[in-house]
Amino acid sequence: MKAKGLTVGLVLVGALAVLWAIPFVWMLVASVRPGFSPDIASLAPPPPYVAENYVDAWESGSFPLWYLNTAIVCLGILLIQCITVSLAGYAFARLNFRFRSLIFGLFLVQLLLPPPLLLVPNLSTLVSLHLYDTLPGIMAPYCASAFGVFLMRQTFRQLPRDYEEAALLDGASNLQIIWHVLLPLAAPGLAAFAVVSLTSHWNEFLWPLIAASSPRNQVLTVGLASFASGAEAGGQWGVVAAGTLMVAGPLLVLFAVFQRRITASFAFSGIK
Amino acid sequence: MSDVVLPLSALAAPARRRSRAAGTSALLLLLPSLGFLLAFTYWPIVQVTARALLVQRFGTAGTVGVGNFARLFSDPAFAQAAANTAIFAVATIVPSIVLALLFALALQGTGALTGLLRSLFVLPMMVPLVAAATLFTFLLLPGDGLVDHYLARFGLDMTNWLGDPSLALGAISAITVWKNAGYYMLFFLAGLAGVPPELHEAATLDGASAWTRARCITLPLLGPTFAFVLVIAAVNVLVQVDHVIVMTGGGPSGSTNLLLSYIYQQAQQNNDPGLAAAATVVSVACLLGLALVSLRTLERGIHYES
Amino acid sequence: MNLTRRAALAASVASAMVASSRSAFAATELDLFFPVPVQGKLANEMQRLVREFNAAHPDIVVTPVYTGSYDDTNLKTRSAIQAGRPPGAVIMSANFVREYVINDEIIPLDPLLGSSPADFMAKFWPALRINATENGHVYGVPFHNSTPLLYYSVDAFKEAGLDPENPPKTWADWVDAAQKLTKRDGSTTTRWGLMLPGTYDYLGWLTSALAMSDGGEFYNERWGGEVYFDSPSTVGAITLLDDMVHKYKVVPEGVTDANACTSAFFSGRTAMMMLSTGSLSFVQEGMKSPFKVAYLPFNVANAAPIGGASLIVPKGNSPERQKAAWTLIQWLTSPEISGAWSRFTGYFSPVKAAYDLPAMQDFLQKNPNAKIALDQLNLYGRSWFATYNTVGVRKALEDQVQSVLSGRAKPADAARLAQQNADVLLKPYVEQTALKMPK
Repeated sequence: MKAKGLTVGLVLVGALAVLWAIPFVWMLVASVRPGFSPDIASLAPPPPYVAENYVDAWESGSFPLWYLNTAIVCLGILLIQCITVSLAGYAFARLNFRFRSLIFGLFLVQLLLPPPLLLVPNLSTLVSLHLYDTLPGIMAPYCASAFGVFLMRQTFRQLPRDYEEAALLDGASNLQIIWHVLLPLAAPGLAAFAVVSLTSHWNEFLWPLIAASSPRNQVLTVGLASFASGAEAGGQWGVVAAGTLMVAGPLLVLFAVFQRRITASFAFSGIK
Repeated sequence: MSDVVLPLSALAAPARRRSRAAGTSALLLLLPSLGFLLAFTYWPIVQVTARALLVQRFGTAGTVGVGNFARLFSDPAFAQAAANTAIFAVATIVPSIVLALLFALALQGTGALTGLLRSLFVLPMMVPLVAAATLFTFLLLPGDGLVDHYLARFGLDMTNWLGDPSLALGAISAITVWKNAGYYMLFFLAGLAGVPPELHEAATLDGASAWTRARCITLPLLGPTFAFVLVIAAVNVLVQVDHVIVMTGGGPSGSTNLLLSYIYQQAQQNNDPGLAAAATVVSVACLLGLALVSLRTLERGIHYES
Repeated sequence: MNLTRRAALAASVASAMVASSRSAFAATELDLFFPVPVQGKLANEMQRLVREFNAAHPDIVVTPVYTGSYDDTNLKTRSAIQAGRPPGAVIMSANFVREYVINDEIIPLDPLLGSSPADFMAKFWPALRINATENGHVYGVPFHNSTPLLYYSVDAFKEAGLDPENPPKTWADWVDAAQKLTKRDGSTTTRWGLMLPGTYDYLGWLTSALAMSDGGEFYNERWGGEVYFDSPSTVGAITLLDDMVHKYKVVPEGVTDANACTSAFFSGRTAMMMLSTGSLSFVQEGMKSPFKVAYLPFNVANAAPIGGASLIVPKGNSPERQKAAWTLIQWLTSPEISGAWSRFTGYFSPVKAAYDLPAMQDFLQKNPNAKIALDQLNLYGRSWFATYNTVGVRKALEDQVQSVLSGRAKPADAARLAQQNADVLLKPYVEQTALKMPK
């Protein structure tokens, strides 16, 4: 009875997994159909299969620019975040100071207030800092990561103190300790953080949409939205599918290769 | 490491200096993060509250007052957006958490098949919500879209999923569940991995069925994970509106308008910064309220085991 | 510093000075925001046009910026203006021009015209004048225009025993034809009599068309503070839609978008559709069986509001940029270029002279559908609904009409609620204009 229950459960979940995959299957299949196929909805269409949709999408969009901008924004955010979260994480992990709990609480609350929610005031801040319609303007609200700070705090706390103490005895400053001793040891934690940070910022839409208006500052998500609306206007669903694949592709490929690492990075134990 | 033996006094003095310096060092170390936090999280809250309290009408200078809030609460579109958000919250949080738990329970194993199935559920997390929006725009096209195309084989008439006010919010909710369930599943998987197998073994020896074991051991121990996922899901309800903006614009008849898309409309389309600011204040207040009741949960939830 | 280094330094300073003076004579840069509000590969074509302009005008470099739908273009333009980075020129939905004037965000083009406003506007079709001018000044130069059209399938008409040369003229004919054209198979409808887009922006436009065909004004053409959503003509228009969906069941329930309408038209799932002339080329390309177009049927009197877009120049641009923008505007609205764009898209050329050119006359001869659309514009064209907070007021109506289309409201209630909501939105403007009394 138990075994049958398990099998039924697995079959049900398997069926749901198939359902879950349908949008991706359609995306792959439709992207190689010739234009104006009447059964563009079919998941198992007959040949011919063509590459013209990818060519069309490449030409009507500005994918090289979008890739570049997205890479700059995501890597830029990550770089600054690595600095801010390592320094702050170390402070919380190893130093005792007044108002530590209060400041920690300030960071905690930030987890619940993502940048898109504060788009109205953040936009005015950008304008007054002359950062409107610039890539740094898009990056700015994400540079402090409460999540990253907690991650690094946790990681640092779990490292044995021996190396630090030796370094302290040798007269090393906090910064030197962080850079030479702790970060190398905390690499796995940083890597996990990098995965989460890159993925979530690659996929951001609303803030980059509002923070920048020129096409030269568009990121992939914003570019996809405008490209798709134009292609949909022409009824070019194959082109829409191809363009979507080009936007989602890089992360999907990375996922296929680094699956285990990536899922481990996203999963956190909430119980200890 | 030098093999020097230090007298106790020599050790004490550096420690005292270190604790006095610790306050300054901590401040310096925290400054970069705090700078960004203050500039883009806390100062905006102050600023948007001030803006919301500045009542400005066409062609006149502004005065301080609660006029914007009065207008907000008497705006039927806001009431509708608030109601929609509440419905949307239930319609997305419940299914995505239930499914996430179900997936996690079923796919704890290490086989290749379970690994593949887990990946299929996690895939939506890796793509932007607007990419999901472009795909689902086609899938949900009345008549020619994939859903109607295959449902027609079962004799179902053409359904206008995104154009029928009674269906549109459901469609948007379904897309959200599709996007998030796999992500929440990962949290549950980690939570399940933290349940000591000895407990299960002992219970089985005592003759407990799988269901009893799930009910009495697994679920209670997953409590903190539940709480954490719930908080994340609640924040997502307020923040994930990309598909609404791109697919329906809040329509038809405002039936898919959510709080953040309402804010976006007032700020950008209707050019009404006072109303947008007031609505932002309301949303922030909701989340701060959530923060108050969930601070402990958050703190516990963001652990990482390398 | 020794001699060679000093010489090198001097040389580099000199070349820097030359470079900066060369840049003083560099091309004027300007960005053009443009929408693609109808179906077709318009974005690519616009970019091609701009490349042609840049090649012909080496002292100006225009960057075309595709900004989505009319509503999105409005958003992006306003954001850019408010952030202090106004675009050089925008192809803005013709009915948003009024609001930009009210908010003092665009420049009057009178100083650049080279003639009086009246003489300038005489170059364009009369129906376009109301949306292009405000208080006698020219603010928006018409770029391309449209009216709603009735598209119908010739084969479907023949099959239903209707004469394709005699399309429905009155609402009564229309309903009758739609009923004959609707095919049912049990409880499923295999072919609808009529489909029309019910999405934001389109629905407001079509509703105004029906209200005007029912004899109404729909809005105050001279002042942006008044709309007539609950007058009998508008109620009549909404009732027609309601009846067609729920009483005669010839139109599908709910909100359909333009893509769904054209897909259905192409695949034969609808026999008629009410759609913009702007989609004419797109439909020509995708419709494999013969089709025709006709004037919108009327109840009281023929009427067709214009649609389309005008070129505006936001405030905050330097005089050089304004001049460059004007050069671009003149080029884009020259008879040759305007005519070519019209033939490519299906929009009218707003420029009368474009239709005197042989290429256009040839085109109209070969495309009777385009001729019919042009005739409707000249005979029955009216202005496009424009008020203070046009989008908000328009949505106040659209939300209600969408409710009616979905069976959740009755026409009279919907109209009344729409008027109420619109009045709330118009109040700030009304209080500062019509209700502002001398002290």
